[in-house]
Amino acid sequence: MLSSCIFRTLRDGLRALPVTLLSLLMLGAIVQSAHASEVNIYSHRQQFLLQPFLDAFTAETGIKTNVVYASKGLAQRLQAEGEASPADVILTVDIARLGEYADLDLLAPVSSDILNANIPAHLRATDGRWFAFSTRARIVVTSKERVADGAIKDFEDLADPQWQGRICTRKGSHVYNRALMASIIAAHGEAAATEWGNALVANLARRPQGNDRAQAKAIFEGQCDIGIMNHYYFGKMMFGDKPEQRDWANAIRLVFTNQDNRGAHVNISGGGVAKHSPNRDAAVQFLEFLTQTTAQQLYGEINFEYPANPSVEPGGVLQSWGSFNRDELNIEKLSELAPSAQMIIDRIGW
Amino acid sequence: MVATFLSSWAHVRSRRADGWSIGALSLCLLLLGPVVALILKALGDSGGLWGHLLDTVLLRYISNTLVLMVGVGILACLFGVATAWVITRYEFPGRILFEWMLLLPAAIPAYIVAYTYTDFFEYAGPVQSQLRMLFGWTRPSDYWFPEIRSLGGATLVMASVLYPYIYMVTRIAFRLTPASLFEIALVHRKSQFWAVGLPLARPAITAGLALVLMEVVSDFGTVEYFAVETLTLGIFNVWLGMNNIVAAAQISLVGFVFILSLLGLELYARSRQRFASTSRATHALRPLHLDLRGQTACILVCCIPLLFGFVIPVGVLLKFVLTGGLVGNALAIAEVLGGSVLVAGMAALLITLVSTFIVLAATYRGGAALRRMAMVASTGYAVPGTMLAIGVLIFAGSVDRSFAAVTGDGRASLLLGGVGILILAYLVRFQAVGYGAVLSGIRRLPDNMMGASRVLGNGFTSSLRRVILPLLSGSMVAGGLLVFVDVMKELPMTLLLRPFDFETLATYTYQFAKDEMLEEAALPALMIVIAGLLPVILMNRMLRRTD
Repeated sequence: MLSSCIFRTLRDGLRALPVTLLSLLMLGAIVQSAHASEVNIYSHRQQFLLQPFLDAFTAETGIKTNVVYASKGLAQRLQAEGEASPADVILTVDIARLGEYADLDLLAPVSSDILNANIPAHLRATDGRWFAFSTRARIVVTSKERVADGAIKDFEDLADPQWQGRICTRKGSHVYNRALMASIIAAHGEAAATEWGNALVANLARRPQGNDRAQAKAIFEGQCDIGIMNHYYFGKMMFGDKPEQRDWANAIRLVFTNQDNRGAHVNISGGGVAKHSPNRDAAVQFLEFLTQTTAQQLYGEINFEYPANPSVEPGGVLQSWGSFNRDELNIEKLSELAPSAQMIIDRIGW
Repeated sequence: MVATFLSSWAHVRSRRADGWSIGALSLCLLLLGPVVALILKALGDSGGLWGHLLDTVLLRYISNTLVLMVGVGILACLFGVATAWVITRYEFPGRILFEWMLLLPAAIPAYIVAYTYTDFFEYAGPVQSQLRMLFGWTRPSDYWFPEIRSLGGATLVMASVLYPYIYMVTRIAFRLTPASLFEIALVHRKSQFWAVGLPLARPAITAGLALVLMEVVSDFGTVEYFAVETLTLGIFNVWLGMNNIVAAAQISLVGFVFILSLLGLELYARSRQRFASTSRATHALRPLHLDLRGQTACILVCCIPLLFGFVIPVGVLLKFVLTGGLVGNALAIAEVLGGSVLVAGMAALLITLVSTFIVLAATYRGGAALRRMAMVASTGYAVPGTMLAIGVLIFAGSVDRSFAAVTGDGRASLLLGGVGILILAYLVRFQAVGYGAVLSGIRRLPDNMMGASRVLGNGFTSSLRRVILPLLSGSMVAGGLLVFVDVMKELPMTLLLRPFDFETLATYTYQFAKDEMLEEAALPALMIVIAGLLPVILMNRMLRRTD
């Protein structure tokens, strides 16, 4: 009888409870030994977007990579692990997360001529604790059918009452929108940013929801005429293997905003070396690899992101969308202003 | 909590050193470690953020959370109690099939259901497309359709997958109600359900409801996807948006307090009610026969929750798997399945042992204080997974530092980075599930059972072995299986605490589902459901054996 067998196991287990507990805990004690030809990565970047880089790195250097992927809490894990942490490299997909690691003093300063030469000063920390590897523009998309070309030029235009009931966005508290709000604060100050936010919320066609692609879809379906999204989603929809998403992409026009003034708001994906990294040399080597031509081109090929290294040309598809001016605001500023941005977002109910 | 601990400690001290009480108390302390770590974190300075939160979003978070709790609570009770009643009381075609199928939604993670519902009910989904074709509508402005990404949608999704917690325990309660009581109701022309069934099943229903509400308070995936601003969402805005983990820990304790006060209310309400039937029912409860209309009604009652909790979500997943072909690497998924089953099995075994030990000690050895302590120790379930994981990290970090100090090796680690910390996290979180199952099992035993065995000359442990444990085995196994299914679904803690390159089906599914790549997510998500099938069927067997 299965049940009596299970029961007997349980009964015997109960007798041996202290031993069971201890042995299970000991299982945890099997810790990865620090091996010279390894690099351990804590990644906020998703696996399928990171794997090609890891494969290329291992192929080029013979160094093995181990990864933990999670979107939240890795900084706290690193903090709890302290000196015993096996982590060598931290990778994030926005500046605010990098700022969190830096604030908690979890990153080690790196001085590498290769990194300093490849990454412009406004895209890395002054003390070398973190570096950007790619940039991503936050853009406005408009319906090709229902919004005239050139009707919207700046993010500030979204506050115009003529767009009432026609704009769709994801929630304001999402990290991409929070960084956008931070860039508006940087440009105009908190009071003006609040005013802008209030006007934007008043123009929304529906409660903020979904991800960036969902906004393009809503435009395609006619629920709204204007959306906000990260530029690379357009490439993913246009060249992905989902025909319905190609329809969404075909329904929208890309507007790289603020070209006549401060330039388009960009965020970064980036990373740094962990403070207690056991394989520091390999870690620095991995960061350097990410800023060199092979990897920099991969960012465009895999995810339609722009290379952070100015000497590497973006891929053909990216070039076809035209070149544009970027907001050269020191990217660190976005991280500093994120808490104020979230407070405004709370107040205006975005 | 401190007072509870002190009084239970005083109680332990007042007796001669009793291994059972001391052991149970130490286990409770281990279980509370991460929660206490979180509370300590919350005692820090949040930099005056509460003024801002009170002025802006906090009331909205709280009212949304309460509305969601009330809504899911009512709907899940409706689903769970009604199905349990018709399954135990009436005979109708398909009853045996429904009996175990009604447990199936427990195997599907709520956030996966949220994704599939969006696909099913949104503008471009099959429901609205059919409606448009039927009525000739062409634009969204032509008609009104309820928005699935809303508080109402979240209520439906959560109730549809959480009602089995209530169904399972209520069914046992109905089945164990002495048939004679129903006959008395018949004689007095009172409703068998309202006058007998429901009042006697109330402790079971509340036990199930407590689990459901704890799930609601701690859910993140569903509310995030539906953009419903609950306390959980607030936690993440404050933590990740304002870099203020202290305030985040404080908000997560607000939800925790909700649950504690509910449990307290229930304890108070029940303090004067306790009954046990000392005799075996003289004859078994036989299901009643119904006319055709009654039978149809019964079938309908069973079909509705099953439709929402299983047929629609699994149907959508199947559609993706069948139309998309077997996207993804089947071999990789098989390997992931192995990892999932391993950790879920280990956690289920450990939790069954720990909760049985604590329940036995609290019932037969400790006083009321230890019983309260045991209940408090199972409240980790009410803390949102990611926040609990932070508590586990802080707790494990201090354990590891002590370990490193003892061994003198700064890089030595006992818990962090290994499977051990995952198992510890599951133990803290799902202890409530095992504890609830074993406790409801022991509550059904007459109080004098142990006394009778002792009078007959058996010692305490031999009474346990020969009398109590055999009677508890069904509840223990049912609890263990439920934990197994829960761990298979668990996402936020596994994501954050796992070792390098370790995947469970839930984390594997999530990497795709997060980006709304449902085609890629469908196969591993289905595997979670399939892996849950066997435990569900076994669990049903256990439940049937209770009579």
